[in-house]
Amino acid sequence: MIPRFWLPIVFLTLMLQSVTAQEAENGQSNSNQGRLSGNLQLNGNFFMRDSLIGAYDIPQYDRQLFGADSWLNLNYQNWGFDMGIRFDMFNNSNLLNPTGTFTGIGIGRWYVSKKIHKLGITGGYIYDIIGSGIIFRAYEERPLAIDQALYGVKVTYDLTDNWKVKGFTGRQKQQFDTYNSVIRGAAFDGFIGTDSSKVTLAPGFGAVARTLDDGSMNNLVATLNTYSKSDILEMFPDTLGKEGPNYNAYAFSFYNTLTAGHFVWYLETAAKSKEVMYDPLGERITVSGDTVIGRYINKAGSVIYSSLSYANKGLGITVEGKRTENFDSRTRPQEEGVRGLMHYIPPMTRVNTYRLLARYAAATQFIGEQAFQVDASYAVNKKLNLSANFSNITNLDGDQLYREIFTEIYYKYKRKWTLTTGVQLQDYNLEVYFGKPDAAPAKTITPYFDFLYKFNSKTSIRFESQYMLMSEDHGVKSDYGDWVFGLVEFTLAPHWAITVSDMYNIAVGKESAVDFKTGEKKEIHYPRFDVFYTHKANRFSLSYVKQVEGVVCSGGICRLEPAFSGVKMSVNSTF
Amino acid sequence: MKKYILFLVTALFFLSACEEISPTVTGSMAGGGGGGTDPVEDQKRQVIIEEFTGVRCVQCPAGAAFIRDLLTLHGNQLIAVSIHAGDFTTPYPESQYDFRTDEGNQLLSYLNEPFGFPSASVNRKLFPGQFDLQLGQGDWAGYIASEMEVAPKVRINIEPEFDSGSRELTLDVTLYVDEAITEPDVRLSIMVTENDIKDLQITPASSTPQADYSHKHVLRDMLTSYDGDPITESLSAGVEIKKSFTYTVSGDWKEENCEIVAIVSLAGASKEVLQAHQVHLVE
Repeated sequence: MIPRFWLPIVFLTLMLQSVTAQEAENGQSNSNQGRLSGNLQLNGNFFMRDSLIGAYDIPQYDRQLFGADSWLNLNYQNWGFDMGIRFDMFNNSNLLNPTGTFTGIGIGRWYVSKKIHKLGITGGYIYDIIGSGIIFRAYEERPLAIDQALYGVKVTYDLTDNWKVKGFTGRQKQQFDTYNSVIRGAAFDGFIGTDSSKVTLAPGFGAVARTLDDGSMNNLVATLNTYSKSDILEMFPDTLGKEGPNYNAYAFSFYNTLTAGHFVWYLETAAKSKEVMYDPLGERITVSGDTVIGRYINKAGSVIYSSLSYANKGLGITVEGKRTENFDSRTRPQEEGVRGLMHYIPPMTRVNTYRLLARYAAATQFIGEQAFQVDASYAVNKKLNLSANFSNITNLDGDQLYREIFTEIYYKYKRKWTLTTGVQLQDYNLEVYFGKPDAAPAKTITPYFDFLYKFNSKTSIRFESQYMLMSEDHGVKSDYGDWVFGLVEFTLAPHWAITVSDMYNIAVGKESAVDFKTGEKKEIHYPRFDVFYTHKANRFSLSYVKQVEGVVCSGGICRLEPAFSGVKMSVNSTF
Repeated sequence: MKKYILFLVTALFFLSACEEISPTVTGSMAGGGGGGTDPVEDQKRQVIIEEFTGVRCVQCPAGAAFIRDLLTLHGNQLIAVSIHAGDFTTPYPESQYDFRTDEGNQLLSYLNEPFGFPSASVNRKLFPGQFDLQLGQGDWAGYIASEMEVAPKVRINIEPEFDSGSRELTLDVTLYVDEAITEPDVRLSIMVTENDIKDLQITPASSTPQADYSHKHVLRDMLTSYDGDPITESLSAGVEIKKSFTYTVSGDWKEENCEIVAIVSLAGASKEVLQAHQVHLVE
């Protein structure tokens, strides 16, 4: 533990000494030799218990009442070095576990990087990606508490101006510690063509391997030894009693971006060696004779993903397709949800931003998924823009998981007002995405509009509204039933923005809140009031929030978020 | 070109060295653990798994079934307690019982809220490489097996006497300290659990809860504080400590299905269980 914290302290001291020395030397606060930059993100939540909406029974509502998360990032460049350090703080935070509490303070990240001619070296906590991330992506996604930095070393080498190679090895970060499995990988990326070429290629090849640590392997073997012999024989055919799961799992991918005139075509194909992974929908019969859902499988995996885009004269079309089979790649197979993921598989649905349109998001299915998506937009003229999106996801047996049809009309009248309107239709598999047994899919029709009126160059008002009409399941509306949402936003540029909104469960469904007194389901309002203040590079917000439980996603990686009731505040600053 | 070949050869070695030797998996345990209670003088390490579950938790029956297999494997060396606490525990309107208890809720906070359900703590221990006392299902079997390897520092004897007329339970618990326990705060917890309670439970089979689901080793109540009563006596090697309890057993519980569970655990930074023991409330 000592070296991990000793090194960042050395770097921080160096950074401060350097800045101080230069200031003394120059007799001024700005130095033209080194550059120190950074940013701060601070979130604070006051929890106000509301048992009606389900905002209770976690420590923050019961006794802690306040929780905060913060990240203070400092970067420094000098002497050809890039170095950085990040201070992370979680105080009674429910970010890492939405139904729990976590308190921890420390160095969340540090790194040092140097380019020596064609050789680049980086040590510390590294964020990186191979291809589109299908076999490896070390990244941070704070709203989901994802921080998959690789704690290790990376080297890069420029073979030519257009051909580069990189290799890395390390262990995946977990809060202020690391997992014990060792990850290693390499990639070879190139570019064929010139800036003036009509046709260019950007091919690449990547490989990643993970060696499971002994502790995780022991636990895995102990669990598998409770499986029936027939299950084990299915997982390890011909080797019963002689062989078990592999410590080492390998994944490879080839990828290429072809650019030809108005067309861009990306293709990536990946394969993974046999590895034990958890199939949350797999069925097995226990030795005691119970049928249970969720089991380990030992299979090789593959992903093929392609995207073709065309853009010219106001018309833009993107067609994407993806097939995933047994590609759950984690630092240890026991990890669940968003934890321990070593990779990222691009989602095949549009990213919705309006409140009700974003309510049902399709989480990437690592075990089996076939998906395609078409996205088109056409600018009729400077005033009018039309766009549409269609996405369809099934499992490998063809069972429907998700379908979305989305349309949008955007109209701009001079510089006075704009109107955005359209309708979204969804077909969402509640059984798979929400784990609701035997539930009929949620089929929604959601018309929406967004109207922005500018009083002058600084003052504007925006109205937003959506209505979600929900399908029925055995005579009762699915999930929470119908919703209506309204928002008014008043902006006084460049400093102030105030929003008032309400999400109302206008027609209750199976999961709607129940009034404890009457035992009846109740139509509930979920109001929200926000004040934002921006001054230069600083942004402050204060919000009163009542929020229904739902799914929060980022790029197809999702998790269930419980209801929230309380006050949120935030400070964001860049310097 | 030489550089490219060098890179490819290096990458090949970097990623794949030699063929590995995998561990052996046999599957299907022998099931030789058996039941019964060893005499206290022969008592081995007995490990407790405290499973957090709920009647509205669709994944929890899989956890319960897994624990059933583990109990078959380890016999009386494994003690299971199912604690209905946290999300998914609100009874259905048609439920006969409310399995929630104050002590269960307190234990959930004491052992930290889990990331998902079902979740369990094994001997309330923070294992190397883990970040929490709460463990996902994939880690239960391994840690149970490793904990059983450790000899107990203390052995526990429980002698229950139950008067079926008054439903009064008298409990004599004796602790035999085999190895000095130097930690400053050591606790004794006594739990009452009940087996085979038929009541509603959601399962993956249907959106309608299964009415005759058999709930196992449900925590009904505790005779001590949720985190145990402090043991104030000296815990030097060779010491015997006797504790007595009296308790009125609820008439709603079937005494023939009830168990008494005793736990000797640490309190403070480490909450580790040193030994657990279980007996039937009535023989």
